[in-house]
Amino acid sequence: MKAFIGIDIGSLATKIALLDNGNLLDFRTERSTFDFKRIGLNLFNEILEANNLNRDDVFCMSTGYGRHTIAFADDRITEITAHARGVQFFFQEAHSVIDIGGQDSKAILISKKTGNVVDFQMNDKCAAGTGRFLEVMANALEVPIEEIGGLGLQSNEPASISSTCTVFAESEVISLFAQGTKKEDIAAGIHKSIARRVAGMAKRIGVAPLLVFCGGVAKNVAVKKFLEEEFGYEIVIPEHPQLTGAIGAALIAQENNGS
Amino acid sequence: MANFKLLSEYYLSLKEKKEEGKKVVAFMSHDNIPEELIDAAGLIPLRMIFAGNDELMDASHDFLSPSTCAFAQSCIGAFSIKPERYKFLELIDYFIVSNHCVSDICASEVIAKYFNIPRLNFYVSYTKTGNSVKYFKLELLDLKKQLEEIKGTEIDAQVLMNSIKKFNNFKKKLLEISNTIISGSQKLKIFHKAMLYGPDILPELDNIILEQSQTQTSDESKDILLTGCSIFIDDYLNSLIEEGGGNVVFFDTWVGFNYYYQIFDEKVINSTKDSMDLLAHRFEKNIYGDHTVPNFLERKVSHIETFYRDHEKKTGKKVGVINHIIKFCDHMSIMSSHLKNQLKEKGIFVLNLERDYSRANRGQLSTRIEAFLEMM
Repeated sequence: MKAFIGIDIGSLATKIALLDNGNLLDFRTERSTFDFKRIGLNLFNEILEANNLNRDDVFCMSTGYGRHTIAFADDRITEITAHARGVQFFFQEAHSVIDIGGQDSKAILISKKTGNVVDFQMNDKCAAGTGRFLEVMANALEVPIEEIGGLGLQSNEPASISSTCTVFAESEVISLFAQGTKKEDIAAGIHKSIARRVAGMAKRIGVAPLLVFCGGVAKNVAVKKFLEEEFGYEIVIPEHPQLTGAIGAALIAQENNGS
Repeated sequence: MANFKLLSEYYLSLKEKKEEGKKVVAFMSHDNIPEELIDAAGLIPLRMIFAGNDELMDASHDFLSPSTCAFAQSCIGAFSIKPERYKFLELIDYFIVSNHCVSDICASEVIAKYFNIPRLNFYVSYTKTGNSVKYFKLELLDLKKQLEEIKGTEIDAQVLMNSIKKFNNFKKKLLEISNTIISGSQKLKIFHKAMLYGPDILPELDNIILEQSQTQTSDESKDILLTGCSIFIDDYLNSLIEEGGGNVVFFDTWVGFNYYYQIFDEKVINSTKDSMDLLAHRFEKNIYGDHTVPNFLERKVSHIETFYRDHEKKTGKKVGVINHIIKFCDHMSIMSSHLKNQLKEKGIFVLNLERDYSRANRGQLSTRIEAFLEMM
């Protein structure tokens, strides 16, 4: 019986997950770089070796931005479908998904009856509302990206960031800082801005609980908080928020191949 | 470029006609330009149905803002750069400036003015009231006069009637093709060639139908109804749909249904003495025209729903709707969420696909289309 590998080639990170009988056996993540084909192949070979598997023992499903360029994949599926399936691995009752990655964000609506995607919205044209926005702002505030979320939570009075464009927002942040606005207030304003933008996109397709937040940015505690404020209800984060695409791809591979 | 052969052959065909002394009248405006009148004047109608790319759009920014319709940008860019595959643009003698939409007016005026092409005017109303039909007939008469000045003689009434019948038969043939079980890409290829050459290719269409009928569409393909903006020559959009496992079974666009559905009933032709009245009658009946008001949205929803139900009954397959919006087409963009919501209420899935012609779009479009097809 075959095991199933899902590989999610994202613009910033490549994620791989190995499933057997629906159980998550192994996973890895690495920065994609420009040479994502090589990174993907390395991760694939690593995970096979680490689990004493040969190529013939697995069926590999690719997803993400680079899904068509991975020659070793047996099949491919879009990240929309993959994430929708992947969040159900962690939360069977998931009804909607917000995924915020390095360079895009998406909202997905899942049918409560069938578990299939019924609608989606994507923003992959603009850095605002993505991990890139956070990176730029963290840089502007001279705060490590891992700490900017925590900093934002310290604020009692989030600053208002009115610009929707990353470039103009960066100027606004620098300007606020120069005027003496506290860093934590600016940080909070930045996170509110992301949450407002992403929530606006998500509301267009009618997202509702149980809403699962995934992607690399899901690790940011302040984005979660402000998203919850926007929606007015709690949202949940899977144990491995970056892996939902890869896990979803592997699950779909398993389902499509009769296992 | 996949259509280089089509365009280079078209250039040669047009050049040959020019050498015979014929003149070429080009236009952007979609629905209401009376090409029969142009044909009856012994002139050649040339419909601008060419997609753009980064280069063409960039070239247009010398004339118009980048936040103009990408199709309009591309038309201007095509005249500005005149790439090899659009060599036939040099053969254009006149350009009709019309008001199908704001971008049509802007681009047509720019093309006529800055590329030294004499302009002809033809402005239409968006309503179908008694007054707007009367006004349309006045515009027809005015255009007829402009064309007669070029021709040097009057347009014979019988010649015009014959032209109307010829185009009518031509559109009936396209309708027949639309109902065949050939792939969307094959249909689109035929529509593109047909809308370039017009009724001159009527004898060819039967052969094409015969050839194409030997190509079977895969039963596994997901059936798509394409609405919104047209897919023009050299646009990769239909390829993306087919690569993703989709097949456009119905082009609810003006390269497609909105063109060939405008057919006269034989009884109407036979009972109408004045050809201009016939053309005005067609204008009045063109309720699916892109900018026809009021109730454009309601009619579109109803029309799509009817097709959806009929298709499901005939084939057992559901149809997904792709609403193709060329960037900065405000009309299509504003309508898109209403169209989606209203069709969703009827259980019909819709993908709103907004794009310009930039290369960077391709991966983004592909993801959306594939995800939509997976959803179906």
